[in-house]
Amino acid sequence: MPEPKVWSVSQVNRAVRLLLEDTIESLWVSGEIANWTRARSGHCYFTLKDEGAQIRCAMFKTEAATLPADPEPGMTVRAFGGLTLYQAKGEYQLVVRRIEDEGAEGLWRRAFERIRAALEAEGLFEQERKRPLPRFPGTVGVVTSLSGAALHDVLTVIRRRAPWTRVVVRGTRVQGEGASAEVASAIDVLGSSGLVDVLIVGRGGGSLEDLWAFNEEEVARAIARCPVPVVSAVGHEVDVTIADLVADVRAPTPSAGAETAVPDGETVQETLAVSRVRMRALLAATVLRRREGLEVANGGLFRAASGLARPRREILERVTDRLESVTRRLSSLQRARLSEVLNKMHVLSPLSTLGRGYALPQDASGRILRGVAELSPGTGFSLRVSDGTVPCEALDSSG
Amino acid sequence: MTTEAEVHEPIGDDAQSLEARLQRLEEIVRSLETSDLELERALALFEEGVGHARSAEQILKNAELRVEELLGTAEDPVIEPLEEDPE
Repeated sequence: MPEPKVWSVSQVNRAVRLLLEDTIESLWVSGEIANWTRARSGHCYFTLKDEGAQIRCAMFKTEAATLPADPEPGMTVRAFGGLTLYQAKGEYQLVVRRIEDEGAEGLWRRAFERIRAALEAEGLFEQERKRPLPRFPGTVGVVTSLSGAALHDVLTVIRRRAPWTRVVVRGTRVQGEGASAEVASAIDVLGSSGLVDVLIVGRGGGSLEDLWAFNEEEVARAIARCPVPVVSAVGHEVDVTIADLVADVRAPTPSAGAETAVPDGETVQETLAVSRVRMRALLAATVLRRREGLEVANGGLFRAASGLARPRREILERVTDRLESVTRRLSSLQRARLSEVLNKMHVLSPLSTLGRGYALPQDASGRILRGVAELSPGTGFSLRVSDGTVPCEALDSSG
Repeated sequence: MTTEAEVHEPIGDDAQSLEARLQRLEEIVRSLETSDLELERALALFEEGVGHARSAEQILKNAELRVEELLGTAEDPVIEPLEEDPE
């Protein structure tokens, strides 16, 4: 009898491995997750089981990194992969390339809820944390992909609304493995660079999986610690991202984010015009108050004051038109001489003031009586009006 | 208590951002609103304010969006003009 062929253990395992790999194509397997472990190497090991059987499974680092979260024990999933034999142990296993929760985005949804609950418990979504955006940001920071439509949209809007703005972009990948770390780092670097007054963080629309980076905790934390206010601008209509919840302001698209971040040029023009008018009116009021203050304060003599409102405003405008053109030509050294200029303005002379219905109380020597002390009951004085004087006597006074 | 602004020297056109000018303008208006302002001081504030308003209008008129890219690290940042994709 010839000697039987003797195989080494390695030869057997190798033959079985090749048999498995060559004869059974990649397949989907449904089962319950058990014993999930993520090794230091990044590889994940677990068991898929049903009532009567189990299969050892491995998911290597690259594939495992695309998972939004580790599946929970007992969770029913379907795993896609190929069968092989781990020769060192003689155990056959499924090398998993993809795991899906039963239900399309279940695993993502679950991870989302977990992160949301954790950050919410920390108070990161609190309304009190929200900072107001600067009204007129000089520099706007943008964290997004340099090649995406989002950047184009943001720049288009800012160019249209607020072309005086400076935009500083920090380009980053916005999806795929490692995208969240890149986005978080871009927020950190640009946000604390001291360059920007407000930060727009976002990307165009996509599936929940595409948008995942904006649901990651590290992005949320970067937004929360950003020293300048953050506008989240992730393109999506129905869903909200974690980034939206943490951001100071949430915009539904990158374009909308840009609209929120910068004011409209016309609004600024209007603000300027209003300031100009106000300054002029206030200065004129100050000037007139200096000249007429006491007369006005004496009261009683000026019952017709309300009727004066309109012409008086016109006079103010004329005065300030002139003031503006005068100050425009003055150096700051010449400014001190401006009161002299003012004195030459006919409209401000005491006589023209009288023409508008005011009157000056004077004593016999022509001195202007400025206060109650000079007008005790029984005091005689003359009231100078625009076309003459009227003799008067104080009946009573209060001050 | 009034929030009276210090009078600043009028400044050159590009020395300050639009934001700073608009903020300063608001301060000036607020100060002018305080009724006990000296005439001299009111004039100075007014003059400064008019300067800011004119410079701000100038900034709006001549504005052209500046787009830059922040490269490098937080410790060693590099800012370069960003070439936009033509469309």
